[in-house]
Amino acid sequence: MGVMIKVTNPNAASTTRKQPNFFQRAIEQWDLQLLVIPGILLLFVFSYIPIYGLVMAFQEYRIGDFPGQSEWVGFKQFIALFQDQNLPLVLRNTLAISGLKLTIGFVCPIIFAVFLNEMSNQTLKKGIQTISYLPHFISWTVCAMLLFDFLSTDGGAVNEMLMGAGLISQPIGFFSRSDLFWGLALVSDIWKELGWNSIIFISAMAGVDAEMYEAADIDGATRAQKMWHITIKAIKPTIVLLFIMNVGGILNQNFDQIMMLTKQMGNPLLKETANVIDTYIFQVGISMGRASFGTAAGLVKSLINFVLLIAANTIADKAGENALF
Amino acid sequence: MTGVKETRHKMKVKKVFSDYVIIVSMVIIMTVVFVATLYPFLNSLAISFNNADDTILGGITIFPRIPTIANYRQIFTNPTIWMAYGITFARTIIGAAAGLVITGALAFGLSRKNLEGRKFYTFFCLIPMYFGGGLVPTYFLIMNLGLYDTFWVYIIPNLVNIWNMILMRSYFQSVPDALEESARIDGANYLTIFFKIYWPVSTPIIATIALYFGVFHWNDWFMPNIYISNPNLKPMTSVLLNIIAEASFAERMAAAGAGAFVGEASHGKETNARSITMATMITSILPIVIIYPFLQRFFLKGIMIGSIKG
Repeated sequence: MGVMIKVTNPNAASTTRKQPNFFQRAIEQWDLQLLVIPGILLLFVFSYIPIYGLVMAFQEYRIGDFPGQSEWVGFKQFIALFQDQNLPLVLRNTLAISGLKLTIGFVCPIIFAVFLNEMSNQTLKKGIQTISYLPHFISWTVCAMLLFDFLSTDGGAVNEMLMGAGLISQPIGFFSRSDLFWGLALVSDIWKELGWNSIIFISAMAGVDAEMYEAADIDGATRAQKMWHITIKAIKPTIVLLFIMNVGGILNQNFDQIMMLTKQMGNPLLKETANVIDTYIFQVGISMGRASFGTAAGLVKSLINFVLLIAANTIADKAGENALF
Repeated sequence: MTGVKETRHKMKVKKVFSDYVIIVSMVIIMTVVFVATLYPFLNSLAISFNNADDTILGGITIFPRIPTIANYRQIFTNPTIWMAYGITFARTIIGAAAGLVITGALAFGLSRKNLEGRKFYTFFCLIPMYFGGGLVPTYFLIMNLGLYDTFWVYIIPNLVNIWNMILMRSYFQSVPDALEESARIDGANYLTIFFKIYWPVSTPIIATIALYFGVFHWNDWFMPNIYISNPNLKPMTSVLLNIIAEASFAERMAAAGAGAFVGEASHGKETNARSITMATMITSILPIVIIYPFLQRFFLKGIMIGSIKG
C-alpha cells in the first residue's frame, strides 16, 4: 500500500530532500491519519480483497482450495456462462423487472412529489409525507409477509375486494402465477419506496423561488402550466441525475425483494419469471458451490453495469444535462 | 413555501377546467397513497390484538373485534423470540454506534484539506462504489476471516459505508473552519477536535446516519441467512423468514406459547398461526416505526445534502 501512495501522490514522490517526505508529514499529523486509517483498512479488506477474488473467475475452484490459488482455466467459466441455457431467461427477467422499475417505478415518485407540492394544507401534507416513508423502514421480509397475507386466496383483502366488486369470480393466486410476478415485483417496489424516493424531488422543489410562482400568477398561468413550467423544470436536473444512477444499476435487481417474494426461490411456480441475475448467482455460486462460475457471472454483471453507467452519463453530458461525473 | 400559498389565495385566480382536474387527481393520489400505505399495518395491528378464534371469521379491518393480548403473551413466552430480539437489538446498537464512529472518523479525516494523501484516500473510497468483487468472493473472504457463525460478522464487514461517508463528509465540510482553527491554536489534536468539537455540532447528520445504519442492521436478513447457522445468533428477521418459508413454524410457535398458558387461545391452529405471525411482525417493526418520525427532519436534511452534486 505504501508504494501505491507514492505512485498516486506525485507531490509526495517528487519532494526534495530538504522538505519532509510524505511519510514524515503523515507521521507528523498522526492524529488526523489515525482517524482515516481504520476506515481505509476495513475498506481494503472488505472491498478490495473481493476484487482480487475475481481471479477465481479465471480458475476452477475446488472445495478445499484457498480462494485464488486454484488451477487456471482461462475463459472456461465465461464460455460456460454464455452457453448456459438459463442465461437468456435470467437476463430477460432481470431486464423486464428493471425496465418496469426504471420507467413506471421511476415516474411514480415524481408524480407523487409534484402533486404533494400542490397541496395547500401543510399539516395534511406533512402527515401524508411522514406516512409515505413508513414502508421504506421495514424489511422486505415484513413486506413479503404483508403481501402474502393481503394477496392470499383464502380471505386475502385484495381478493375479497375484487370479488366484492364483482371483477373476478375466483380468487387470483398471485403467488402461483408466474405471469403476474413482474407486475407484483413492480407494484410492491412502488408501494415500499414511493415516499422515500420522492424526498429528493420534494427537496429539489423546496429550492424553487416563490417569486417564480407569483410572476406566473400575474401572467395568468394556470395551475397545470405552473406545475409543468416551474415545478417540473426545477427538478429536471435531479430527475436526470437519478435516472443515470438507476441505469447504472439496471442489472442489480433487488435481491432481498425477489428472494422474499419467492420464499428464497423456494416457490417453483415463480421460478420461470422471478429468477434474476443476482438470485441466479446466489444459487449457482453459493448454494450449488460452483464458486468460479458464480464469480464469472458476477464479474460480467459488474462490467455491464459499469459500461451502462458510463454510457448513460456520457449521453446526459452530451445532451447538456447535469452529469454524474 | 407558505408565501406561495398565501399569494395564490390573495390573488383569487379564476379556476379553469384543468385546475379542477389537478385538484381531483391530487385528492385521488393522496388518498390512494394514504390508504394503501397505512391500511396493511393497521389491519395487521388489529389482527395481532384480536382473539385468534375470532380472526378466522374474517372481516377484521382496523379495529380488533375481541381485544386480547394473548397473541403477544404467546410469542413472548417463546425463548426463541427473546433471543432473536436480543440479537437484533445488540447488532443494531453496536453496529450503528461503531459504524458511526468508524465511518464518521473517515469522513471527518477526508473533509480536512490538509490531510496527507487525501486525493489517494478519496479515490480509494470511490472505486468500490462503482466496482466490486461481487457475492462469491465476498463469501469466501468472510469464511476465511473466521467470521462465519460469530456475532461479529454482523458488525465488522458493515463498519464502513461509502454512501454514508460521503454524506457525513459533505456535512463536515460545511462546518466553518474557524472551529477547527481555534481548537488547533489551543493545542487540541484532531481526535479531540473530531469527537469533542465536530461531533456535538453535527447532530443532524449523525442522527441521519445513525438511522441509516440502524435500519440496515435491524432489517438485514442476508447476513444471518448465509453466515450464521447457530440458532442462538439468529435475529428477528430470521424468525420472520422461518414463518414465511415454513407454514408450520408459526403453528409451532403458537403451540409452544400455548403450553405455558394452557387453555388460552390454543384452539384453531390455522388462525393462531396467522395471529402469531402478525404479532411477531408488529413486534419486529415497532421500534423503527416509533423512531423514524422523530428523526424525519434530520434525514430530510441529510438527503438534501446528498442530492447536491459531490
